[in-house]
Amino acid sequence: MRALASNPGASPTPSEGDPAVELRGVTKRYGDSAAVDDVDLAVREGEFFTLVGPSGCGKTTTLRLIAGFESPTAGTVRFSGEDVSGVPPEDRNVGVVFQNYALFPHMTVGENVAYGLQFQDPPGGGSTEERVADLLELVDLPDAADRDPKNLSGGQQQRVAMARALAPGPEVLLLDEPMSALDARLRERLRVQVKAIQRELGITTIYVTHDQEEALAISDRVAVMRAGSPEQVAPPREIYRRPASRFVASFVGDNNVFEGPVSAIEGSEGDGSRREGPEGAASAHVVVVDVDGAALRVETTEPVSVGDRATICVRPEALRIDGGTSQVTGTVESAEFLGETTRISLDWRGQGIVLRTPDPLSGEVTVGFEPADAHLVAVER
Amino acid sequence: MSAPPPSTEVGGSDEPPVSVDEGTSPASGRSRGGGAARRVRAGAERRALAVLAVATTALLLVVFYYPVGTVFVESVVVEGAVTLAVFAEILRDPFYFGEFARLFAGENPVAVAHDFLGADRRLGIVGFTAYQAALSTVASVALGVPAAYLLARYEFRGRRTLRSLTILPFVLPSIMVAVGFVATFGQQGTLNTALGAVGLGPIELMFTLEAIIIAHAFYNAPLVARVTTAAWESVDASAIETARSLGASPFRAFRDVVAPQIYPAVLMGGALTFIFTFGTFPIVLALGGFQLATVEVFVYRLVQDLNYAEAAALAIIELVISLGILLGYLRYEARHAVRSRGARPLPRRPLFQLPSISVREVLPRVGLGVYGVIAAFVFLSPIISMVLASVTGGDGSLTLEHYRFLVDRQRTGAAFQVRPWTAIRNSLVFAAGALLVALPMGVVIAVLTTRRYRGRKLVDAIAMAPLAVSGIIVGLGLLRGLVFGVEIAGWRIVIAGSVAIVAAHAVSGYPFVVRTIAPGLEGLDRSLIESARALGASRARVLLDIELPLVWPGVVAGAAFAFAISMGEFSSTIVLATGTDAYTMPVAIERFIGRRLGPATAMGVVLLAVTSISFVVIDRLGGESFGI
Repeated sequence: MRALASNPGASPTPSEGDPAVELRGVTKRYGDSAAVDDVDLAVREGEFFTLVGPSGCGKTTTLRLIAGFESPTAGTVRFSGEDVSGVPPEDRNVGVVFQNYALFPHMTVGENVAYGLQFQDPPGGGSTEERVADLLELVDLPDAADRDPKNLSGGQQQRVAMARALAPGPEVLLLDEPMSALDARLRERLRVQVKAIQRELGITTIYVTHDQEEALAISDRVAVMRAGSPEQVAPPREIYRRPASRFVASFVGDNNVFEGPVSAIEGSEGDGSRREGPEGAASAHVVVVDVDGAALRVETTEPVSVGDRATICVRPEALRIDGGTSQVTGTVESAEFLGETTRISLDWRGQGIVLRTPDPLSGEVTVGFEPADAHLVAVER
Repeated sequence: MSAPPPSTEVGGSDEPPVSVDEGTSPASGRSRGGGAARRVRAGAERRALAVLAVATTALLLVVFYYPVGTVFVESVVVEGAVTLAVFAEILRDPFYFGEFARLFAGENPVAVAHDFLGADRRLGIVGFTAYQAALSTVASVALGVPAAYLLARYEFRGRRTLRSLTILPFVLPSIMVAVGFVATFGQQGTLNTALGAVGLGPIELMFTLEAIIIAHAFYNAPLVARVTTAAWESVDASAIETARSLGASPFRAFRDVVAPQIYPAVLMGGALTFIFTFGTFPIVLALGGFQLATVEVFVYRLVQDLNYAEAAALAIIELVISLGILLGYLRYEARHAVRSRGARPLPRRPLFQLPSISVREVLPRVGLGVYGVIAAFVFLSPIISMVLASVTGGDGSLTLEHYRFLVDRQRTGAAFQVRPWTAIRNSLVFAAGALLVALPMGVVIAVLTTRRYRGRKLVDAIAMAPLAVSGIIVGLGLLRGLVFGVEIAGWRIVIAGSVAIVAAHAVSGYPFVVRTIAPGLEGLDRSLIESARALGASRARVLLDIELPLVWPGVVAGAAFAFAISMGEFSSTIVLATGTDAYTMPVAIERFIGRRLGPATAMGVVLLAVTSISFVVIDRLGGESFGI
């Protein structure tokens, strides 16, 4: 199987200048297993870049390699083009926020924020006290300097950790699941705030999360990781609309994935032969995929031949009851009431199909979609 | 929490309030901040930990591995030739190995086995040492496990105090315990006085195996109780409730869920007890004399007779046996370790309020009552007897003459006599010196053994070996090596006996520093350390700024341990102090004990006072965190 979407993170063009953070062929092995497997990534200056994936996919290890807490088994980590693989974390000029915040419990909030300033003069030339006050104001905790971090709420601790990490003026901010210990509502509020701070400072930020919704909401670009390497690196919209692999399609949001042989290709000529659009301007055509006897149509610009094995996906919100040109009829298995919508699961020839409707349904239901609403994930010759 | 992030209105309109990384262009170096002084300091800090590690290793080599090596060389090099003759002689000598010696001498195993099973078998010194160690282990387990049951399963006033009292053996000097038992079991001892009052006795327990075993139980039962209580408390109540819900009776649930988690701890306590009592010295020296000599006592005697080669060989044999047992135990532990912290410990039952009058409720409490009487006798009688004896005159009247004797001896004693104040002063000076060496050593080793890297287990084993090596070997090695003088590249290196004593005390104390600090360091959240690193702190700075402040109670407790252990150290001190005026309080007690029990007990009370203060410090500042 080959991915169809391009991977803009892997090969930055030289004209862009050196990326702020770059991984070249980085592998980290623990014993026989590779936690991070031959990863190439390039994070641009000022970018909010997110590593997302299920637990054990290597996202946190990747972050720790960037921070310098782990050293790569192979490959190099570069900051602005300079190899920092042998540089200890204290000399990398990174700010790190951990999931549990890791505030020093024997220091006040102010002492925590000031800790990094004893190794470096405050950026901007002011005093340590001014810098601490500025940062506490930035994270909206202006009067917390003398407080004991143990007496702060989780969200407040998270913001102190942010302020502490930012105080020495790092070039790169690394956030390791900084919100996963908070409740959902607080998380949503905080991520708006984190994003705003990142925007304001223009700081290159690498964010690790297992929450794909959070990744889509907060990032300039997202790397979806699986088994130690990124499957797709792209802006959130592209990740959502044009997943590059079956894994990305089903990991990011609800999705209906179908697989089967290409039975026909319909387009301007409709002769079923291989379509190669002119260079740089691939013309759209419709590929008919035979999934268990049903003809499902997907619009694509990718070159496809009859007989190829194709994987396509359709988002639940693209499915219309009794509508669309590609239709399947299934039996309602469950209907979960989610508030604004109801999430319906259909059983269609042993495969589950998910759609959203305003009202619960039951019995036999026919759903369909338009070729333009489906996405061709991959083809196999 | 509700306001949106401040925009540029803070601190002026055209300048953002917070600037990130001004002055460093993205391509410039990663080094933080300016100033040559800062760079020099940072460089020194970066190397500080490595330098300390090297210094600790060097010190350990000089004051432990080199002396032990000296002893080993001494045992295999006779008149310049390498030989195993000394070992062979010891192994074939029935005096040491009893009937086993005939095996080593090549006799028919069947005949040896037959004689061994016969009534008049000979055990030899090594056999007797193992025999008394085995009996002591049984006694310690028998006395320790009920205490663990009481402490883990019942709630009563003073439970926490009783639990923290179980670290007492680590700080009570063994020679003082021995004096206490002499005061209990002797002709005029409290036991015979008490028996005489009710028309019984007198019984003769001095210089008997029973006295030695009771004294060993005093010392080691609390250790068994301590490790077993910890294991019992870590049993998760929901595991038992699961077993019960699956149909197991209370007894089955205990057998299948609780017992498998407890008996590795009992075994650990037993193994440590065996090792400690196999290498026992002051207790047997005081309570058994040379009639009931163990290997260690005999090594000491050979040293006194200046028979160094045989002493060294015998000490090495002893070391091999105890290290073998330790290794066997550690291998067992590695395979059977149960490492579950009970999320929800078993609820304790109130000791004195019975929920119902039933056999199941009454019987265990009656058993604990009987146990309490025995335990009170074993644990309280030596201390009470010692204090009583120190204020009792020859005619049984209350007197301070023994304390007066100490004062007079200080004033009028001849040069060759032991002067009390000199002993007290030496003890305090040596303990302070040992503390100053053992504390940094212990901290560095705790750091080295709690970080993750290949070969950590080996470092741990090398660093913890002094726990298993007797003080006599260390003392003998230091005496024959550095104290008598070593020639290195034309330089003759000689250290004073007092310096050697401090070194030996530091070696016996620092493992306890490691054991009090390491669990705390291990339990620290790694992200605290990593956060500090990312903020620009070197590894050594993190240790000073973050780790040590957070495990400070453990550091203080470790210091108190090192101090107390130095105060009570006997084995290496008596070897190194022979013929000098570098004697300590325990050595003074030993010199008094044969001739004048009264002054010995008075000295013991002084020693008890000093070590009790150490104990209070330990208890107040985190005895709970002790890792044994």
